Amino acid sequence: MEVTINQEANKTLVVLNGRIDTTNADKFQQDIAPLLQGEKPDIEIDCSGMEYTSSQGLRIFLMLQKSVMARQGQLVLMHIKPQVKEVFDITGFSNIIKII
Amino acid sequence: MQQLDLHCQMILEEYLQSRSSFEIMKNIVRAQLEKCVHDNGLYVTAIETRVKAEDSLAGKLALKGYKYQSLSDITDILGARVITFYTDEVDKIAALVDKIFEVDWKNSVDKRKMLELNQFGYMSLHYVCRIPESLYHDEAHPEINQYRFEIQLRTALQHVWATMNHDIGYKSGIEIPREHLRNLNRIAGMLELADEQFSRIRKEVADYRRHIQSLVADGNFDAVPLDGDSFRSYLALNPFKKLIEKIATINQAEVYEDNLLRYLDVLQQMGFKTLGDIERLRKECSERAYQLAVHQLAATDLDIVALSVALQNLCIIYILQQRGGVLGLRLFFDTLFGVSESNAERAERTAAAVDSFNIV
Repeated sequence: MEVTINQEANKTLVVLNGRIDTTNADKFQQDIAPLLQGEKPDIEIDCSGMEYTSSQGLRIFLMLQKSVMARQGQLVLMHIKPQVKEVFDITGFSNIIKII
Repeated sequence: MQQLDLHCQMILEEYLQSRSSFEIMKNIVRAQLEKCVHDNGLYVTAIETRVKAEDSLAGKLALKGYKYQSLSDITDILGARVITFYTDEVDKIAALVDKIFEVDWKNSVDKRKMLELNQFGYMSLHYVCRIPESLYHDEAHPEINQYRFEIQLRTALQHVWATMNHDIGYKSGIEIPREHLRNLNRIAGMLELADEQFSRIRKEVADYRRHIQSLVADGNFDAVPLDGDSFRSYLALNPFKKLIEKIATINQAEVYEDNLLRYLDVLQQMGFKTLGDIERLRKECSERAYQLAVHQLAATDLDIVALSVALQNLCIIYILQQRGGVLGLRLFFDTLFGVSESNAERAERTAAAVDSFNIV
């Protein structure tokens, strides 16, 4: 699992590649730690390379969403593969995190 | 700067020496007013504070300096203003001001009550106050508790009229013809009427909300129209708790309680008119909604679910039962998540899941 974070003007662009599961959830949480700072963050996560997320991954996305909302920012997951989107749908997480 | 006599010059000198004390008073008064508004759950349009500028005081002294023996006779060197939305909030804040500060009743004026029955014009409540020692005390600066200051309390519409009247009537520097003054006063009458109407509407809406809440609490759901307020009251009863807890047992999952208010648009689009319609959905479709969750989650190790998945599955089952098909589901997802091409795939996948397990 790889996380790349790029800052472009007022927007933070994140690219996720690979699987988020029990073996690497801690690393994923560490990798996205910079996204938990700053006022009114505008974060776009390109999920086109994300193959799977486990419950641990969902919990980290939830934590990130709560942090972004608390700072009056926005978080969007983009280009998410159908099999990953299904995970968000059947757990109800599509209702919590914006997916386009 | 105005030419002042010696007496007025002495008052102006006292003002210049005391200016920093008034600035301290200004900060205390502002902080207290903001705290009182916040602590009492009030919402006002503005809290303004200012220390009178030197040239403004000089102008006042030039006009009527003979009325004042010293600076402490002038009560508006520090002025504060609280502008409310509604007339009844003026009285509420006035009562709170009375509790916080020491009110000089002899010099305080309720200008709302000074107008004759057939008069319309300036409406505002002016309190002349002191900062009590119990609130702030500095032995080196006893004047902070001695100087008086003025708090004006008025509604936003009263403020608009007062500002326009000041701008047109006073600042222009020329005498205004009688018919223009009459027009200004006619507007004052109209705004007074509007203030009264706003207060009445607010009370009627509050009464309606209480009525709806009591119907919901009594379980009289068919009598309650579905709208934002009623849906919020309904959700407070946690109607989907049983279903989500059942869904959570599939994988011994944790439940994250997200906000379901976003489903209001969806339910209205599905043709639901009352809370009774949602109750019927809950009672008649819960078992199938659970079955759908079983088929979606049982083969996974996903051990967290959002509360909304209960209502999401209920809506899916209802749409398919009503023969809405894939198109109906797509419309549902478009309303819920925003219009997107990818909702077509979502709708196909969801319809296929329900179909393959003969849930509907």
